[in-house]
Amino acid sequence: MQTSTPQQTQCTPVAEILKRPVIFVSGKGGVGKTVVSQAIAQVFAQKGQRTLWVGFEDPTRKPGELLRIAKNLHYLNCEATTAFEEYMGLKLRIPGLAHLFTSNPVIKFLAKAGPGIHELVLLGKLWYERKNYDRIVADLPSTGYGLAMFQSIDNWAKMFQSGPLYKDAKAMIETFSSTREAGQLIVALPEEMPLQESLELGAYLQRIFPHNAPAYLINRRFPQLRAADSQETDPTRWSTPLAGNLLDFAQKRSLLEAHNSKIWNQAGVQYEDLDWELPGTAIQGVSAQLQKKGLL
Amino acid sequence: MTVPPQFFKRDVIITCGTGGVGKTTLSAAMGIRAALEGRRVCVITIDPAKRLATSLGMKELGSEPQDLTERLRASASAQGLALPEKASFHALMPDTRSTFEEFFRRLTSSSVVLDQLIKNPLFQIFAREFSGTNEYMALQQLMKLYDSGQFDCIVLDTPPSRNTLDFLDAPKLLNQLFDANIIQWLIRPANKIAEATVKKALGLLEKLTGATFMHHMLEFARGLFEIRTGFSKQLNRVIELLSSDKTGVVLVTGAHADFAEELAHFRRHLLSHGLKLDALFVNRTLGAYPELSSENLTEAKMNPELSRSVELIQSLRTRETQALSRLKHATGDLPTTLMPELARDIHSIEDLIYVARQI
Repeated sequence: MQTSTPQQTQCTPVAEILKRPVIFVSGKGGVGKTVVSQAIAQVFAQKGQRTLWVGFEDPTRKPGELLRIAKNLHYLNCEATTAFEEYMGLKLRIPGLAHLFTSNPVIKFLAKAGPGIHELVLLGKLWYERKNYDRIVADLPSTGYGLAMFQSIDNWAKMFQSGPLYKDAKAMIETFSSTREAGQLIVALPEEMPLQESLELGAYLQRIFPHNAPAYLINRRFPQLRAADSQETDPTRWSTPLAGNLLDFAQKRSLLEAHNSKIWNQAGVQYEDLDWELPGTAIQGVSAQLQKKGLL
Repeated sequence: MTVPPQFFKRDVIITCGTGGVGKTTLSAAMGIRAALEGRRVCVITIDPAKRLATSLGMKELGSEPQDLTERLRASASAQGLALPEKASFHALMPDTRSTFEEFFRRLTSSSVVLDQLIKNPLFQIFAREFSGTNEYMALQQLMKLYDSGQFDCIVLDTPPSRNTLDFLDAPKLLNQLFDANIIQWLIRPANKIAEATVKKALGLLEKLTGATFMHHMLEFARGLFEIRTGFSKQLNRVIELLSSDKTGVVLVTGAHADFAEELAHFRRHLLSHGLKLDALFVNRTLGAYPELSSENLTEAKMNPELSRSVELIQSLRTRETQALSRLKHATGDLPTTLMPELARDIHSIEDLIYVARQI
């Protein structure tokens, strides 16, 4: 039986990342990025900062929709087609011409099938919006797709060796690389594979932004329970991955999380953690936890 | 232990669903389950995170099928199960890049065109990032394994992205690209382009993107044009297999109502292309365990730490039950299997057998 140990990674404290104007919240699907990003945005807004909380291509909302959800707090459903037209309008300076351009079948095909145009445009929209807000908190799509967004700027900077798009891609990399302007917050769950993958995500991001290390936030920790004297505390030695019943699950889950925290501590990964909030009041709960820990 | 019919009915099982719910592990467990029923199984996964390899207790998997039959046999017998004599179990993880090149190599007879194409920077990024490249390559592997006749049950674990199903639209997209009008704009020398608006659009594009990019793009388009017939033929064969009765799709999700929308989208998309939906698997549920007994609850009341856990578990279970009805509804009431939340990660074939037995 093998377990993987994380390699030495560079990290930035969570509190430090949360001071930056643009915060990218990333991580695997289902780790609670939406709740965490909204909770952060909400605290900024309550403190009187003009805040934009960005989601990407939520199919349940109108493409490109901008909503005011509270005082100082807006939500943008960032969507590629609408963002692309806006961008072309800005570049070509003649709105009608932009439409002619974006409705051209060749351009449409390229925008759909071309490598990373979609992602580039989404990030570009966020990049433009940063001038209109004190804070931007982006709820990035799950790992693979979210990564592609950052990879795409890099690709475009390499693909075009001149021209306005090249300049913009370059400028975007510069902004998102700057520790004064932007930060990456990686959300993970306290399970082995998700933890390992969050470190891989961190390493990947650091190849694109070598001088801007991410912060790690471990979400949804179960209440910690003491192990019974007879209990094996090393999860890798349990004979089955299944729990016997729900109480056994709670007990084992607590041991598993303690075991994983130990591995991260030994590897020198800095992180903060959040207790599991009950469904229904999770956003307020996460906001309160972040403030109580002095992270916001 | 009843066996879900899709393990006998279909030659190809595609698992499709939301990310982060243990889909890869579940796909492997399904493969093991089918092997335990006597089938000759191969599991294909496209997953740079190497989850399948880890859950099989291995460092990596090759891009050729790796024979794990004897390991499965030994692990099964440790749990008192006998792997039928005729059964076999293989797994592989295709290397997208080399498959992509090999694929293009087979499609073109001209090595000049191929060399030019492979060296083109746009092709290189395309090979890596084109929405759906991974899926196309997984499908190429699928065809190869299917044609080999070595397997009677191939489990294809699709990558967990929202683009997962793009390959189904690829023939249409390709036809659009190779539609004479479009492709000719791209591959005709600039001076022969008569239409003023097209000239204007390309001129603007060049102004925006720079001349180098335009050069690469036109070269790339010409390369694609060369191979289009072979490409379409290959693709149509795959689509034919997928929409036949030989293939069934299993939807995999987590027990959260948020996934309902995405599942409904998957379902519509799959059905509109003639694929058959066999089952819904809801992974990582607490509902797969029996409810807490009254003794459990009494025990928890005496211990404040434990009672917090119990409160959390009960409220998660309630949310799960609500989510479940939405998920079922979103998928047109497919036969649904609840899989248990695990107490720890999967590290070996032994672990996977425990999961497989829950199916």
